[in-house]
Amino acid sequence: MASDVKIGLVGSGGDGVVAAGDIIVHAMASCGLYAMMMKSFGPQIRGGESSARIRLSSEKVYSLGDGLDTLVVMNWGDYLKFAGELELNDNAILIVDEKDNTRPDDSLKLQKVASIVEVPITSLAESSKNPKGKNMVVLGILAGMFGLSEGALVSAIQKRFAHKGEGVVSTNVTSFNAGFKYAKSNIPPSHLSLQASHIGKRLVITGNEAIALGALAAGCRFYSGYPITPASEIMEWLGEKLPLYDGVMVQAEDEIAAICMTIGASYGGVRAMTATSGPGLSLMMESIGLASMAEIPCVIVDVQRGGPSTGIPTKSEQADLMQAVYGMHGDAPHAVIAVDDVETCFEVMADAFEIAERYQMPVIALSDQFIGHRTEVIVDPDLGKLKRGERFIPQSGDTTSYKRFEDRENGVSPMSVPGMKGFDYICSGIEHDEFGSPSSSHVVHEKMCAKRARKLEHLRANFKPIQVYGSSRPKVALITWGSNSGVVREAVERLVSLGIDAGVAVPRLIYPLQTSLFEDFLKKAELLLVVENSYSGQFFRYLKSYIGMPDKAYSMRSSGAKIFMVKEVVSEVLKVLK
Amino acid sequence: MIMNNLKAKDYISSLKPIWCPGCGDYGVLNAIAMAFEELSIPPEKIAVISGIGCSSRLPGYLNTYGFNSIHGRALPIACGLKIARDDLTVIAVGGDGDGFSIGGGHLSHAIRRNVDISYFIMDNQIYGLTKGQASPTTPFGDVTSTTSYGNIDTPIWPISFTLGYGATFVAQSTPLDIKHLATMMVEAIKHPGFAFVNIISPCVTYRGKEMYQYIRDRMYYIDKEEGYDPKDLQAAWRFANDRERIPLGVFYKKEADTYRDRIDRVKEKLGSKKMDIEMEKLAFVPDTGGLGEKDVFIPG
Repeated sequence: MASDVKIGLVGSGGDGVVAAGDIIVHAMASCGLYAMMMKSFGPQIRGGESSARIRLSSEKVYSLGDGLDTLVVMNWGDYLKFAGELELNDNAILIVDEKDNTRPDDSLKLQKVASIVEVPITSLAESSKNPKGKNMVVLGILAGMFGLSEGALVSAIQKRFAHKGEGVVSTNVTSFNAGFKYAKSNIPPSHLSLQASHIGKRLVITGNEAIALGALAAGCRFYSGYPITPASEIMEWLGEKLPLYDGVMVQAEDEIAAICMTIGASYGGVRAMTATSGPGLSLMMESIGLASMAEIPCVIVDVQRGGPSTGIPTKSEQADLMQAVYGMHGDAPHAVIAVDDVETCFEVMADAFEIAERYQMPVIALSDQFIGHRTEVIVDPDLGKLKRGERFIPQSGDTTSYKRFEDRENGVSPMSVPGMKGFDYICSGIEHDEFGSPSSSHVVHEKMCAKRARKLEHLRANFKPIQVYGSSRPKVALITWGSNSGVVREAVERLVSLGIDAGVAVPRLIYPLQTSLFEDFLKKAELLLVVENSYSGQFFRYLKSYIGMPDKAYSMRSSGAKIFMVKEVVSEVLKVLK
Repeated sequence: MIMNNLKAKDYISSLKPIWCPGCGDYGVLNAIAMAFEELSIPPEKIAVISGIGCSSRLPGYLNTYGFNSIHGRALPIACGLKIARDDLTVIAVGGDGDGFSIGGGHLSHAIRRNVDISYFIMDNQIYGLTKGQASPTTPFGDVTSTTSYGNIDTPIWPISFTLGYGATFVAQSTPLDIKHLATMMVEAIKHPGFAFVNIISPCVTYRGKEMYQYIRDRMYYIDKEEGYDPKDLQAAWRFANDRERIPLGVFYKKEADTYRDRIDRVKEKLGSKKMDIEMEKLAFVPDTGGLGEKDVFIPG
């Protein structure tokens, strides 16, 4: 009996495969299951190819797993555009619309598929007087074949279309029923069984929504951004919600204005953030350097996409790492942190604002399209605990000796806010002394560089430890970051079950790197594999510049757009072990 | 406005300006301080935001909150601050290169949002801090260190530029008449919405001492002219199109909703307040009611 089910759906934009996927996830969540769904789109604005990959499980899952158990193909043309991304398991079941007879030949790895079930998807939709309802027919077929709860699916359909009126709801339910009935009487049922367990309060949410909600809960009340795929949902969500919480979202004229408005608001004492993707982060770099020099707290979220340049806006990659760490000119202390999955978005936003406010510096939080556009069922986070870290504001009293950039032990100086009488100062991107007066003296520059850099040492020493899964001092060590964490974590579970002393370390704080924790993790390592989605292996090279690696250190890397599968990581480890 | 009996000199800090002797910006600094005295604004309630350039050093010479940022970005920083902190008097200052070249893209957007800030551009027709390169307002044909054979770019005309984008307050003045300049600044700060003042400020080092005479010969006050009406956009355009002489005064002034008014209207409609963050209102929380531990819901 399977402990999880992996379902894929592929079609044209108008086929509604992503909507169908959403409905499955919402319905199964209300049945107490965990789920993860990845949406993937072509570049077209409307009507292009789109796909959804769903993994359902009774336990929390950390990746999309391996190949699909079932794939619904609305038409073969769209399938071919995703062929490299929609690998099938042996014995997978393909459900295809019998109307499309352009099935590709055996060269497309379809030979190992156990069965191809041809279903009159289009004609069932048409006969239920809902030609646009092919996706509803498919939901009915899946429910009939696999025994997915009919009631939960119908209720999710009703919720989804409620705002369109009763007519639309009943039309779609009729199409669902047509598919369900067809499957019951024409397709032999498949034996899949999943048990719901540990029912508690859950959320169904995407990574971008979780970032936005996490920021709101962390106290963010000012957001300025510029639309960019795949980050725009953060801005859209905050644009709707911030005004409800006495906050403001400003759509800026470009990313430079977005980061500068964010800096201006934070200078005024309000927790402020912007979000973007790689091209926008490039535009923001000079201003992030300003926030570092002028010591202004701010949070910049980068939902990475395929690059460079326009690259592949709709698909994921982890190749903004070097830009986030080294993109600024000069020595510009700042922090870089990363989310691992949708659930960690909440904690990471709390960390981002805490570091920004406490250390008065910019924090770049790295996510990627794979997390941003992914829907997960997660355990309800405790939103009340996400606002952390206070800005060090001078107390009223003696103002004559006030030094905004006072050279203190941990590098953090008292930061006044406009409106505080007697604490006025000049905030500047030009090098300045402790009072804020401009200076081009080497002595002052050296001293202030050291002051600002000490904040990083303090942060490095005080931030929470790196996450380690599997063995804590393994012989077979893996290191990864961001959206590959879940994949590698599951790979390590499999390696351990094969009797291999394996473990994976995942940093949340990417910069400054917690070097000693990695060195401890690698103490007994005979072999190291670093896994990432960067063609040039940015993370491997970055780690290598900071930590001593075992002689057998390997980089498992590929460009973005295609996510590693758990079995690929397992077989790579087994290969290098030989 | 709270009376605080501060004099203009009280708003000026002890820091010695880096400006050349004879620079027009000294007069601009004095005029700003005179405007603050006139308006009796508490210094801690003022934030002066600048970019980079000779004139962008100005915030450092005031006893107010100040922000000397990066080249071209005074406006978005000032807008972000004002949107977040409506209680402050926020003024952006800078030069013609900062405002019309590298930062030129921000000006139209600050104008269309009508953020309630003032923007004072010290227009000296040259890049002074980097020692004499052509700026976006350098006259056509002028020889500078980057236009060896004469400037082949048509200069931007700041008044037409801002009128064209629909600014709700457009004025021009010069430190050659400090009282007039201070009056323009007072009007601008009092104006609810985005207020633009172009200040013809001589650069003696790279434009020569004769720039003073050039301005003096051509300046005139538009409020003394026939047909002057700051509420009349057509009249404003007539003066703006005078490129032979230098018209001074308020070209145009219009009452309009500020960005804050627009935000407040949305918030009022929503009943915005500092509410508790409740998950049910913010995300999809599946109803798992009726399900117990280990319920089997998918038949094997």
